Amino acid sequence: MITITRRSARIVAGLLAAGAITVSLAGPALASHVLVQTTTLGEGTVGGTVNVPVTLQAADGAPLQGTTVIFYLHASFAGVEGEAEIGRAMTDENGVASLAYRPRLAGHHEIRMEFAAPAGGEVEVTSTAIDVTGGGQLYRSPAGVDVPGVGVELLMVVLAIVWSILFWVALRLVAIARGGGEVGTPEPGPGR
Amino acid sequence: MNDDTAKGAAAEQDRACVEAPPHPVTDGSRFDRRRFLRVLGLGTLAVVPLPVLPELLRQAGLAEAPPEPVRGQGEPARMRDGRIRQWTMIIDLRACDGCQSTGKPPRCTAACVEGHFAPEPMEWIEVYEAELPGGGTQFMPTPCQQCQNPPCVNVCPVGATFSTPEGTVLIDQERCIGCRICMAACPYDRRFFNWGNAPVPPESLLADYSPEHQIPAKKGTVMKCDFCPDMARTGTLPYCVQGCPNDAIYYGDLEEDIATNGRVLVAASRFLSENDAYRLKEDLGTEPRVYYIPGHGEAVGRDAFTPDRLPTEWPWMERADGAVTWQR
Amino acid sequence: MAAVSEWERRLEETALAPIRRTGPRFWALVAALLAVIGWGVYAYWVQIRDGLVVTGMRDRISWGLYIATFVFFIGISHAGTLISAILRVSNARWRTPVTRMAEFVTVVALVCGASFVIIDLGRPDRILNVFIYGRWQSPIMWDVLAITTYLTGSITYLFVPMIPDLALFRDRLGGHTSRWRGWLYRTLAIGWNGNATQRRSLASAIGVLMILIIPIAVSVHTVVSWIFAMTMRVPWDSALFGPFFVAGAIFSGIGILIIVMAILRRAYHLEEYVTEKHFLYLGYLMAAFAAIMIYANINEFMTHGYKLQEGVEFHFRQLFLAEFAPLFWFYLLGGLVSPIVIALLPATRSVRGFVLAAVLVTVAMWIERYFIVVTGLRVPLMPYEPASYTPTWVEWSLLAAGLALFALLITLFSKVFPIIAVWEVAEDHEATVASPDTARRAALEPPKLEGETAR
Repeated sequence: MITITRRSARIVAGLLAAGAITVSLAGPALASHVLVQTTTLGEGTVGGTVNVPVTLQAADGAPLQGTTVIFYLHASFAGVEGEAEIGRAMTDENGVASLAYRPRLAGHHEIRMEFAAPAGGEVEVTSTAIDVTGGGQLYRSPAGVDVPGVGVELLMVVLAIVWSILFWVALRLVAIARGGGEVGTPEPGPGR
Repeated sequence: MNDDTAKGAAAEQDRACVEAPPHPVTDGSRFDRRRFLRVLGLGTLAVVPLPVLPELLRQAGLAEAPPEPVRGQGEPARMRDGRIRQWTMIIDLRACDGCQSTGKPPRCTAACVEGHFAPEPMEWIEVYEAELPGGGTQFMPTPCQQCQNPPCVNVCPVGATFSTPEGTVLIDQERCIGCRICMAACPYDRRFFNWGNAPVPPESLLADYSPEHQIPAKKGTVMKCDFCPDMARTGTLPYCVQGCPNDAIYYGDLEEDIATNGRVLVAASRFLSENDAYRLKEDLGTEPRVYYIPGHGEAVGRDAFTPDRLPTEWPWMERADGAVTWQR
Repeated sequence: MAAVSEWERRLEETALAPIRRTGPRFWALVAALLAVIGWGVYAYWVQIRDGLVVTGMRDRISWGLYIATFVFFIGISHAGTLISAILRVSNARWRTPVTRMAEFVTVVALVCGASFVIIDLGRPDRILNVFIYGRWQSPIMWDVLAITTYLTGSITYLFVPMIPDLALFRDRLGGHTSRWRGWLYRTLAIGWNGNATQRRSLASAIGVLMILIIPIAVSVHTVVSWIFAMTMRVPWDSALFGPFFVAGAIFSGIGILIIVMAILRRAYHLEEYVTEKHFLYLGYLMAAFAAIMIYANINEFMTHGYKLQEGVEFHFRQLFLAEFAPLFWFYLLGGLVSPIVIALLPATRSVRGFVLAAVLVTVAMWIERYFIVVTGLRVPLMPYEPASYTPTWVEWSLLAAGLALFALLITLFSKVFPIIAVWEVAEDHEATVASPDTARRAALEPPKLEGETAR
């Protein structure tokens, strides 16, 4: 005769509860699969901003909050090929981490996201792609002093005025030279 | 006019001899007022001083585009999508220990000196040792800051130093007259003068000079760090970036927002903002393109109280004829 | 009337005397000055051959004696403007014997000053680049424009009032002097014969010029100061530089004028026309400008010193206490304070006293330009040891040659052109004699100066 005593039932229930608690605590670690959702980003433009969202969910569909996601862009520059970190974001209560990314080069780009599964320490990756178009020059080299209103024109006006006055004086001298034909007083000097 | 009237007029002229005549000059003088004004107008046009006449013609579009100040300068460096690159340098001082750990003079300076045949005693990138406000020192490799509001370009009377579309500042030693006002104007001590025949190896005299490739140095002109634009255009990193053993110097493009020290790639704007980058003498308004990430070499194990770096050497065994050297 | 003619005859003879007679002392002086200039030419040749490395300038102190001397000479050139133009505008009659010398000094000083800029260039063979590729945004370009304008204006302002005197020379010396001189006077007198038309033209030309030359002169030394003030060097970064330099220019101009006046007065026996009164008035003006300079210096040092921003403490230490202290204190005490003391004390208020003051002022102003240039560049911009600068024999030789050129040109001018404005002096004299207020004015004349005997 199997007798389920209340005491043994309590023990079994306690063990089951402990087990459930253990499993639920260890669940995410044991469950190495985090559900990741990324959206296709479609197109972006140089100089504009594109939101790159990634949604993290636990294996059971519950959103993973508080996980840091690091975003990398694959690039090549000056003979070095690799990945540059373009930002970090933390998942919110909906499990969504979103980076406001400003693309700076036209073309097809791979963005890779890394995150550490909570309490597990394993780094997991996912990726998405974006096509960037456009290409207005963002930086312009201003190259020097530019004070509005003060230009070579002002300088020219001032100089022209001064030099034309000097020219007028030269004309006075011509007048003196020409005026020599008239009869004058015998001694020089305007005081005579 | 009889004598009395003449004398009266003369006496009147005496007292008023420093004033203009009280009535318009019309008797017998060939220059009446209308003609005078006409001549004055013509005179105005005729006597515009020559020095800025070429500039005026250019501005009016009557003369051709200004003569290219640079002989041998290539097209501006562009990205894949055609936008012009904007060169920048980011120096991570956490990784710079003045090459104390190498036991040699700073490698960035040495690489630059050797690559460019920089005449002694020019250190186009110079490693200063600055005192930290809290004690100890930090080493600061200081190239030309490539300002966006460059005092040197502003004051040059002949446009021998000029800004390129990539934002770098170059010098055309074929045009420089050696007046040195740019050296007085630079607040970073980054311009150097060829006081005599430059002490460079004789083979360097055979190179083709261009402002992007300042070899051979010309006596009586100014030179400085140029961000190695000829190399950067082809995707090669400048000598100083390559020479640093700790990969402390990053070279990048603000337009593409990317930079590298030869090993890792970083997104420039993020690298700068995340690491509290600053620029030298920000309050002067020169808008430099060289950024510094604060540090004192701690990432490579330097203690801030370890002083001194070794002095730079100029390694040529042989110098060109008639070359001399001088102190800074 | 007879007395006037006799006086006038004496005046004309005095003006003509240098042309008529040239003694051995003149030739000895010219030879000595030419020797100094020749040595300077040799020094410049060495500099061209070897580069500016033969000077004491280096990367950290990249301007030195040459630029200081350039600023000094441009400063002296304001002598003519002050005396000739400002005193003419204000109709101060006592200026008349002095105007010609002042105008000489201006033109000669401008020529000497401009040559020092060219001497300082690393590539003087490319000087034309300034005109082909000139950038109007550059302070050096403003300098070129201002100085060429001022030189043209000064030459004109020297020539125009000289026309009647050149006609006097033409008439009195024609036939008694060498052919080239006769040709020179005939040409330059441009047919002057004193008729009404010519007198009107001359009066209006002088009237316009004397007003025009004042803003030109002010602008010249202002843009020269902006070569320094448009940079970010701590001692130069001052809004006061323009007025400071203009005041200093007029100040040093008066000083050099007193010296030139004293020398020419003794050499050519002008004591009757250039009297103690002239030295007194110019001495007072010099003392007034010394006070203005003291005021300007107080402004500069107080505003910088109160705040002690980066670099200012280093600058004050080098200037007041350490390396440049002897130069600075000589400038302050010998150059700024002593002219005031000499003008105030009756014992020193003499021709000799004022000439001594003028010598001190001239030397002190050169020293001031020197330490402005060198201390400005010496304040370290980055963490490095401050550099030092010592001029070499090349720089000293060229300075001596520049001063010798200045003296030589004035000496030669005085032998070719009338050193005294005969018609203006005569006019002034006649007006004084004819005036009914003569007796009253005579009573108001300042007392005879100490130690000066009537000649």
